[in-house]
Amino acid sequence: MTPPTHLQNKQSDPDSKPQGQETLTLTLDGEEVTFFAGETIYEVAERHRKEVPTLCYDPRLEPFGACRLCVVELEGARNPVASCTTQAQPGMSIKTKTPAIEEHRKVLLEMVVSENDGIEVDPLRGYASQELSTLVDRYGADTGRFQGAQSGCSKFEDDNPFILRDYNKCISCYRCVRVCAEQEGDYAISIKGRGFETQITTEFDGLLKDSACTFCGQCVQTCPTGALADRKALRAEGQDGELQKTRTICTYCGVGCSVDLVTQEDRLVAVQPAMDGPANEGALCVKGQFAFDFVQNPDRLKKPLIRREDGELHEAEWEEALQRAADGFLKALDEHGRHSVYAIASGRAPSEAAYTLQKWIRSGFGTNYIDNCSRA
Amino acid sequence: MRSLTDDEILESLRGEPAPLLPILHAFHDRDGYLSPEALKVISKGLRIPIADLYGTIDFYHHFSTGEGGHHQARVCTGPICCLKEGNQILEALRSQGATPMPCAGRCDDPVVVLKGNQALLGTSAENLQPRRSPLPPEAPTLEGFEECVFAHIRSPERSQFAGYRSTGGYNALEKACSQLSQEDLLSQVEASGLAGRGGAGFPTGSKWRAVFNAPGDPKSIVCNADEGEPGCFKDRALLDHDPHAVIEGMALAAYATGAERGFIYLRYEYPETYAILEQAINDAESNGFLGENILGKFNFKLYLRRGAGAYICGEEGSLLNSLEGKHPFPRNRPPFPVTHGFEDLPTVVNNVETLASVPPIVLKGADWYQCLGHDQNAGTKVISLSGDVNKPGNYEIPIGFPLMHLIQDWAGGTPSGKRVQAVTMAGLSGGFLAGEDLDVTLDEPCIRSKGSFLGAGGIMVFDETRDMVEIAHQAMEFFAEESCGKCFPCRIGTRRLSERLGGHAGPGELTQWLNEVEALGQTMKATSSCGLGIAAPLISDSLVKYFPEQVENHVKS
Ligand SMILES: Cc1cc2nc3c(=O)[nH]c(=O)nc-3n(C[C@H](O)[C@H](O)[C@H](O)COP(=O)(O)O)c2cc1C
Ligand code: SF4
Ligand code: SF4
Ligand code: SF4
Ligand code: FES
Ligand code: FES
Repeated sequence: MTPPTHLQNKQSDPDSKPQGQETLTLTLDGEEVTFFAGETIYEVAERHRKEVPTLCYDPRLEPFGACRLCVVELEGARNPVASCTTQAQPGMSIKTKTPAIEEHRKVLLEMVVSENDGIEVDPLRGYASQELSTLVDRYGADTGRFQGAQSGCSKFEDDNPFILRDYNKCISCYRCVRVCAEQEGDYAISIKGRGFETQITTEFDGLLKDSACTFCGQCVQTCPTGALADRKALRAEGQDGELQKTRTICTYCGVGCSVDLVTQEDRLVAVQPAMDGPANEGALCVKGQFAFDFVQNPDRLKKPLIRREDGELHEAEWEEALQRAADGFLKALDEHGRHSVYAIASGRAPSEAAYTLQKWIRSGFGTNYIDNCSRA
Repeated sequence: MRSLTDDEILESLRGEPAPLLPILHAFHDRDGYLSPEALKVISKGLRIPIADLYGTIDFYHHFSTGEGGHHQARVCTGPICCLKEGNQILEALRSQGATPMPCAGRCDDPVVVLKGNQALLGTSAENLQPRRSPLPPEAPTLEGFEECVFAHIRSPERSQFAGYRSTGGYNALEKACSQLSQEDLLSQVEASGLAGRGGAGFPTGSKWRAVFNAPGDPKSIVCNADEGEPGCFKDRALLDHDPHAVIEGMALAAYATGAERGFIYLRYEYPETYAILEQAINDAESNGFLGENILGKFNFKLYLRRGAGAYICGEEGSLLNSLEGKHPFPRNRPPFPVTHGFEDLPTVVNNVETLASVPPIVLKGADWYQCLGHDQNAGTKVISLSGDVNKPGNYEIPIGFPLMHLIQDWAGGTPSGKRVQAVTMAGLSGGFLAGEDLDVTLDEPCIRSKGSFLGAGGIMVFDETRDMVEIAHQAMEFFAEESCGKCFPCRIGTRRLSERLGGHAGPGELTQWLNEVEALGQTMKATSSCGLGIAAPLISDSLVKYFPEQVENHVKS
């Protein structure tokens, strides 16, 4: 499985100028570069492929400034500044990778590793789950340094079927809390305590199912350590076969969220939101995110069934089944008139099918009794 | 008296700005704790998500969620009370549910125990009594120097409206309103060289001018009376004994900047001060120095808000978030409060002492204030002096005054004449000074040249019998417990440093130990998001610098 790519997905040509904006310039690692008003230093650096490391950053959220990995040297400033929260200004002179800055980043990673019981997690845990371990490798951070107490307390007793709350691996970046508030608008989770005792919580420290949580899974997918993990995906943990991602569109409703289906050999093991999906930007609802078991359910119908004289359902061929349905409709029409027929199109049907259905109801039967299930 | 119903509490406060804290306190006082039902009612009434509200009240030290929690004793185990009987009192009261609390700003009168809304003082669990907080000790006369903020504080009745008036109170506001334009007042404060007394030392005149110039209304004046720094208790003295001076300073700030509303954010640990301020605000308002159409010139409504126990809420961004009912993390800067303060509108945040300095400056002039300092320094500074000295208390000194002169001559030296081993600076935030570096003058340039800073002016004295590693450990434990948890270097770094100073974790070999402590400190200082994480390593750095042998013994054992 590939490492997180949502930042790269957002990258555009470093030299492209946003239209209608005044061109401003600053110095980045000794080179004069252009930017536009409102950009942060991080965004400018990212556009110029500086690979500034981050852990608390998610391009969809308000910059927060927790991890401090994105610090850069700004000429004239007493201390390094967090590039994600600092607006670029004309004339700034910025260095993204001095030895001192790189050393601070390494120490920060060593500090954050020291608060956890381990950082290697199965990529099945979630979309961003490899972010921490990838950075630790990149910086050659010493995972044995700064030993001491561990933070975060897993809440394994929350036995909901979707989300594992393994806070022993939490690094308090608060991406989960912020995505729930800013993207999902649910405010189901929050921050309790302070300092090293900080803990992600819900109202009255209860279970997710007793909270405002809708199990959209966004917190899971933005978590950079796998502390929040996709329980359904983890059913495939340890199974043979390479993980593969296939980009498609969620079939549940008309919004058209882009998803990556995660498969292992011929099995669908997880769904992950596409961070660059134009309709959803990484958001999904509980159905798109977690309700995929039906795909491989052995009970799933593969052939039409007809109830015969014996009162039991029997497998049949399509020809016969369709004829049987058509007869039924005609009978209803004959006996009770054209308004006795009412159609509800499935929200999962493509537009073409929905169009055909309403055409069939309106001109075939002569009634306007047609609706769609995803009106709610 | 019948206690208020939920709806009555909500209705009486919902219309005011910054309503969450007073509403929480009203429920906390009424019920003795914050029950889940109360939180649900408040969440609904103020439209704050219940998960956020639950998490946020947990941030504060003093909001209890267990029945009766509000009335259980909190015993100060800060650096000074610890030298006295703090720990013994805590142990004696533990069976009754007592818990420790960090320095409660009474280091000149230890030990302090908070019970409900009362501060009790004593030296054992048996003799705890309420008493008025100490006045600043009478200062020795000094050629060419007079006090600025303490000039009248010892006059009887100065804390009452009539007493304040009869000693020249509100004359500055009257003078400003009748003789000075906003521009005049701004220039005068600028010319005085007055700089922030809350720690950062930002020039007050420039701050006011920035707010005056910033677009957006209504503007606010916030008086930072959180005074959470251990070893600092000067704001308490000013507010207890000269509350109208601070109110007058705020009114002058409002007049100068065009602000229409003001807040005093008072730390939880000063319940008596709350009552004094409440009275003072009422009196000022009924006498026309607050409220509508003040002296025919301007409107300024002042609100009193009480914190709930969080050192970080003294940091201005965190304070503003706390006022707004948000999770009290500090804010990212820029933007600064002068343009994006309370409710994202232009706001002056000033320390109590800064504000109290303004009326004398307006009355006596910028030059007068300038000349109060020693040598090149402008003005005065209140030093809260405590620990191993004979006469602990608040001393207003000319800036630039020699430290040892203050300790030996003004405060009577150490009890039984023991050698001063070390002092802290800026409460705890400036770390230690020791050895030859005790020979400093009390001004920022001099103290900064030693790698420390004067800050809010808390100085704790430790004589030669004290275990400096243990004191450093307690100090770091304070920072670890008060770290807000927002940024990694401070959240983790303060905990790791405290573990190393306390001997709970870390390398057992000296070079490695020093290497880790230094690396943690360097990265905390360079990358922390606010002053807490930047300052905390000064404790470990200065310990290693001045007391290498004590450190070596500690690591070895
Ligand atoms: C951790 C921390 C705690 C602070 N606590 C206080 C405080 O208790 N009182 C105070 O006036 N300033 C405190 N400050 C400084 C304020 O952020 C701010 O600079 C000050 O209130 C501005 O007022 P001044 O310019 O009058 O000093 C604190 C700063 C930090 C970083
Ligand atoms: S699953 Fe969605 S609603 Fe539930 S806590 Fe996570 S982000 Fe919030
Ligand atoms: S659970 Fe994950 S996303 Fe949430 S704060 Fe912890 S590490 Fe960050
Ligand atoms: S330095 Fe400490 S107190 Fe300040 S924002 Fe960071 S964690 Fe919070
Ligand atoms: S990415 Fe900037 S502080 Fe975390
Ligand atoms: S009041 Fe107890 S240490 Fe300051």
